[in-house]
Amino acid sequence: MGDVFEIADLNFSYGDNHVIRDLSVNISEGKITTLIGANGCGKSTLFNLITKNLKPRSGRIKLGGTDISAIKLRDYAKQVAIVHQYNTAPDDISVEKLVGYGRTPHRGFGLPGNSEEDEGKIALAMQITNIEKFRDRAVSQLSGGQKQRVWIAMALAQDTKILFLDEPTTYLDIRYQLDILRLVKRLKTEYNITVVMVLHDINQSLYYSDEIIAMKDGAIIAQGEPEQVISEQLIKDVYDVDLRLTEVDGKPFVLPV
Amino acid sequence: MKSKARIAAVYTITAVMCFGLFLVAVNTGSLKVTPQQLFRGLFVEYDKTVATIYDLRFPRIFIAMLGGAAMAVSGVLFQAVMKNPLADPGIIGISSGASFTAVLITAFYPRLFFVTPVFAFLGGGFACFLVFRLSWKGGLNPLRLILVGVAINAMFTGLMSCFNSATGSAYTGAASIVNANITMKTWDDFKTLVCYAVVGLVLSACASKRCDLLSLEDKTVRSLGVNVNGSRLFISFAACLLASISTAVIGPISFLGLIVPHIARLLVGSGHRILIPYTMLLGAFTFLLADTIGRTVAYPYEISAAVIMSVVGGPFFIILLRRSVKKNG
Repeated sequence: MGDVFEIADLNFSYGDNHVIRDLSVNISEGKITTLIGANGCGKSTLFNLITKNLKPRSGRIKLGGTDISAIKLRDYAKQVAIVHQYNTAPDDISVEKLVGYGRTPHRGFGLPGNSEEDEGKIALAMQITNIEKFRDRAVSQLSGGQKQRVWIAMALAQDTKILFLDEPTTYLDIRYQLDILRLVKRLKTEYNITVVMVLHDINQSLYYSDEIIAMKDGAIIAQGEPEQVISEQLIKDVYDVDLRLTEVDGKPFVLPV
Repeated sequence: MKSKARIAAVYTITAVMCFGLFLVAVNTGSLKVTPQQLFRGLFVEYDKTVATIYDLRFPRIFIAMLGGAAMAVSGVLFQAVMKNPLADPGIIGISSGASFTAVLITAFYPRLFFVTPVFAFLGGGFACFLVFRLSWKGGLNPLRLILVGVAINAMFTGLMSCFNSATGSAYTGAASIVNANITMKTWDDFKTLVCYAVVGLVLSACASKRCDLLSLEDKTVRSLGVNVNGSRLFISFAACLLASISTAVIGPISFLGLIVPHIARLLVGSGHRILIPYTMLLGAFTFLLADTIGRTVAYPYEISAAVIMSVVGGPFFIILLRRSVKKNG
């Protein structure tokens, strides 16, 4: 399988603060790729650059061979869905209605109401995320983990092959964190969706990702399969702490104490 | 979520109440007619009483209803675009910006009468620009927005009063805008209002989906392929247009755009496709009610509908403000 994103010589700065420096990286199709790095290493900025929320100062980001600056926002939304870290919705909106907003890039602002295709995609998105039973409930009444599944369902209703998740497990307790990560895994294996996410937990990143991209000071210092990339030295480089490495079920495990 | 049956019932009841109030309003004053007499006089044969009422009271009633609808919908749109349930075109200075330019035009170029709303729109748009520009700091802080709006409102209201006093209230047309007095309105005023208000109301109906989406985080809206700033501009345009035209004809009204959408949301929910048309209906009812009460309580003297709205709206605003401060810390 090829690469969905090809990023070359990317630079970005906020004023004098040079956040991304000559960054080049490719993101492979059909895999779960996780960006890891310390706070302020530029991973959120990179995330925002790839999702067209920021414009690079120089360099190229290509999606399927086309520079993303040449792709219209609406067409981009038909190819890439994004779940941001922080979301709000009106108090009284129902789950089904909110998931239906995911059809916006396909439907535009024309006639109200959903086509049969829209209804199908909305139903499928709710089924995959297992929120059908809440479809008529108000989103505001759901728990944090359930809400996060609703936002993921909205992104799935966009019917894209690529899904970005910005710290999807933040604010959730451990049970819901696993809930979301297992869902992400299923999206890849059962629905062949390419997932790119930012995670804070190193072990969850190692366990659920096919590929790790480690960042430091606006550049990439390691990329590859978790088993090959992770080392005590890398953790020292990325997070500037000494942690020991062990193995659980044949997968690398960092002792975070 | 409100059920469809409930929404239909709310719509129907409000429409019936609106019609009932219309009949009461027609009969408020020294001349009285029965509904049968009114119907005959309007559609079957000439009736002197009905004709008088038609010329004197009808324009005022229709202006109150249409102006009320426009003002209330403008409130809904501003609340959506500013993500702030307290945004009211009267409170944040849009109306006073519009009425200031409308007053100048009415005083100096009375022949431009029919295009007064256009100039009012320029004034309202300018006030709106100022509010956005001055309260924007990487986002709109709800209280900051209201404070900036109140200051801009005070400034334009002051300028208007200056002008009115400096000219000894000699320009009656201008003074009637300053005081939001709709007593002497004619069919011509109504025609002016209709032309522009219909455009604004149609635009607002087209904006309902965008209003819904803006209730999400900006980044999330963008990820759905929607140009957030474009949508903001479109909705603001419709909102300013509605506030300005109604201000140009009936004067600055505060709190109508606050109270009506708030009650409407409680009754039909926050989905704009249903909320916006309902707000039109409820806005028409509420402002006509204020006008009719104003004509009745101190008869034969009149209290302007704008004053009634302020008296009722002030406490209401404080309640909402206290609630939203609790919610947003």
